[in-house]
Amino acid sequence: MEFKELPPVKEQLMKCVRCGKCRSVCPVFSEIGNETVAPRGHVFMVQMLRDGIVAPEQKVYDHLTNCLMCETCSVNCPSGIDIHELNAAARSYIYEHNPNLAKDLIFDTMWTNPAYLKNVVRMIWGAQASGAQSLGRKLGLTKLLPGDMPKAEKILTDIPWRSARSQLPAVSPAIGKKKFTVGYFLGCATDLLNPEVAKATVAVLTRNGCEVVIPPGTKCCGLPQIANGKMSTAQRLAIDNIEAFQKYDFDYIITDCASCSSALAVKNMELLLGTTEYREQARAFSAKVMDLTYFLIHVLDIHPPANDKAPRVRVTYHDPCHLANAQGIKDEPRELLRRIPGVELVEMKDANRCCGGSGTFSLTHYDLSMQILDKKMENIGATGADLVATCCPSCMMQLRHGVSRQGLHARLVHPVQLLSQAYEDQD
Amino acid sequence: MDKLTIQKELLKMFGPDRLLSDELDLMYYSYDSSFLTKLESTSPYAVVFPKSTEDVQQILRFAWANHVNVIPRGAGTGETGGCVAVEGGIVLDLSQWNQIVDIDQKNMQVVVRPGVIHAELNNELAKYNLFFPPDPGSSLMCTIGGMVANNASGLRAVKYGTTEQYVLGLEVVVPNGDVMITGGMKSRAIKNVSGLNLTKLMVGSEGVLGVITKIRLRCFPKPRARGIALAVFDNLDDAPATVLDVYQAGILPSGIEILDGSAIKAVNEFKPHIQLPDAEAILLFEVDGNPPSVEFEGNVIREMAGKRARSVEWSTDPQRMAKLWEGRSVTAAAASRVRPDGSRIFAGEDISVPLSRVADVLRAIRELGRKYGIQVVNYGHIGDGNVHTAPVINPENPEEVEKVLQLVDEIHLLAIEMEGTTTGEHGVGAVRRRYAPLEHGLAHEYMLKTKQAFDPKGIMNPGKLI
Repeated sequence: MEFKELPPVKEQLMKCVRCGKCRSVCPVFSEIGNETVAPRGHVFMVQMLRDGIVAPEQKVYDHLTNCLMCETCSVNCPSGIDIHELNAAARSYIYEHNPNLAKDLIFDTMWTNPAYLKNVVRMIWGAQASGAQSLGRKLGLTKLLPGDMPKAEKILTDIPWRSARSQLPAVSPAIGKKKFTVGYFLGCATDLLNPEVAKATVAVLTRNGCEVVIPPGTKCCGLPQIANGKMSTAQRLAIDNIEAFQKYDFDYIITDCASCSSALAVKNMELLLGTTEYREQARAFSAKVMDLTYFLIHVLDIHPPANDKAPRVRVTYHDPCHLANAQGIKDEPRELLRRIPGVELVEMKDANRCCGGSGTFSLTHYDLSMQILDKKMENIGATGADLVATCCPSCMMQLRHGVSRQGLHARLVHPVQLLSQAYEDQD
Repeated sequence: MDKLTIQKELLKMFGPDRLLSDELDLMYYSYDSSFLTKLESTSPYAVVFPKSTEDVQQILRFAWANHVNVIPRGAGTGETGGCVAVEGGIVLDLSQWNQIVDIDQKNMQVVVRPGVIHAELNNELAKYNLFFPPDPGSSLMCTIGGMVANNASGLRAVKYGTTEQYVLGLEVVVPNGDVMITGGMKSRAIKNVSGLNLTKLMVGSEGVLGVITKIRLRCFPKPRARGIALAVFDNLDDAPATVLDVYQAGILPSGIEILDGSAIKAVNEFKPHIQLPDAEAILLFEVDGNPPSVEFEGNVIREMAGKRARSVEWSTDPQRMAKLWEGRSVTAAAASRVRPDGSRIFAGEDISVPLSRVADVLRAIRELGRKYGIQVVNYGHIGDGNVHTAPVINPENPEEVEKVLQLVDEIHLLAIEMEGTTTGEHGVGAVRRRYAPLEHGLAHEYMLKTKQAFDPKGIMNPGKLI
């Protein structure tokens, strides 16, 4: 569809009154402080693009990517504008005029094919396990990496060898009486970087009466592509995923990754496929998609057994933007943590402020990302928490890096890992 | 001096980190919240980020010597084009210069640099049990410098007045680069009538006389209690009449706000949880002070409002009060919600009329809306006669734009005719300047002479205010 005709561009652009409220909530603006990075500035620039006042050039793209896509501005916009959607649409429009072979290779070829992605991750594992990553740093070879990668490669630590998919069966039967058949959308980052989270998810779901199916052919949720100007690739991935899950009659489609659930939720699917022939299929698919913590609280209403002997552990919770802002899910992860024996939940200041990770943002804007991260880590440090819980693998990676930068001792976990552990402790 | 040379010279002075000169970057400084800058945008020649009085002096000396326009800018939340370089020039983005220099608790005053955000100042002052009373709707993002330059006020002006009542002194860099201190070179006095009152002259001068670089503000002790009354009316005329009744009963609330039926609808669309009652109009009265006086005033308001209102709710519960007040504070931008394919615009949005004419004005604006076929949302600080009008149009439809500009012109003229003014608190900027001779007559000529005395070369924020 033509850029001008895209629903956010056609319907929402004119609604911006440039009141500037977005200046008061944007984490990037808070660091840089000039109008060129204010969310209303991005809206303005999208309008300039639409009206042909500026050409779809790379430098406009670079301006628009001074944005985490954290959606904080969108949820706070009094005019109700989905600023992040306008930004994403503009990035794709510009990218179409400025294609880049390396980017195509990464986002169209590698990231759309789980086998390729797995091999890339294994290469990184190999570099870490063999000491090549650390040797490369010492010899200065990592400086030869493109863009911000010479600095950002430090974020990629502790890569596991075995993916979740290679450790989990395609179908895990319910333990006891079956309540639901659940399709598990196993996102790339959980699969390849946090297999322990996936194992915990399957363990908790099966224990609570769910048959868990991981459909073959599941692909990336498309969020990295949207953020990187590849909306058409994200559309293709969405169709592939719908088709992969359509083959089953699932009661629910569950994911433990905030980014995946936001990408598969109604709003984003409407953006991708709302004006295509796949619209109805996309709606039917999205209607079943649910974040794991929401499912555990509102559908299964789980209550792990009391355990007086459970060790006391101080946990603070970080809200992933794609859960809190994109889906309004803030209470459920906290409620889940409160129900786990031994957990003492301590709120950090500004728990719902972005950690600066935002998928690939930390890799493309490393220094800025670290400025934002440092504020988050200060707030985490002040809680004295033993564990930092969050529901997004990108946040986990970023916060893990923050813990290491600040020399803290806190460990990163997904709430479901603590829950799974609580069940195991009872066995 | 041509634009490129200006950029090169500024680059030498400030380096690349404190200067924007790329054409694309400069475009982001072509707007504020005004409808005017949505219709016509002009980029500045350069944007500089001053962080000291010396920085500002350096820029002004350069601009003075070379006849280059200088336009001070805060957060760009104004609604008049006041911070936009409509005639070209260097924009000074002062929003990053945001230090609170001194909180003088004993003397109940605070000294700040221009970029301090209003809400952040009050957060800091609260630690000392103080507050800076003017309360603009843009509190979260507007700067104190911008408030002073526009003599801003807001929801609580009924009792606490406008910014000018709190400015005790200023540091101003005048157009030739000299630094002037107003309100006494060393003074920390609260009362001060020595000399011509240049502080009052500078407050609300919208950057046409110089650049405000330091501000000494008077603060008040934070009230200990607060209460809000919500009165619901089936007849619009009953709302202004009730306001007069409350005053007649000897009560001076801290704020009295009105939302008409369309504003109520807009708020409920934007924040359904607020659940404002469906009505022709609602009034929100806020009273503050000590607990017994708040309770007493609340009772009187209930009694007075009860004469005409369908219902009156009185609350001192912090959560309920926050919800009710939120209803008012989100109205400005939420107004767009009354029309799915439209947007509110900031034009003709700030007239102020005598209390006795508020009902007439609200009726007349409704009529004008009908005449032009434009939906109009009315809300505002009815306690001081300051009516905010939000026309909601499709801003990309040229016919609607043409009509709304005529509507706005009629609203401005209506305000003058009704013994009021075109602007109560947002300022004149570029959008209301043409009404200055009509509003002020001979006084306008003396304003021009005053400008000439400060800025004979006319470099400070040309095209604004007078």
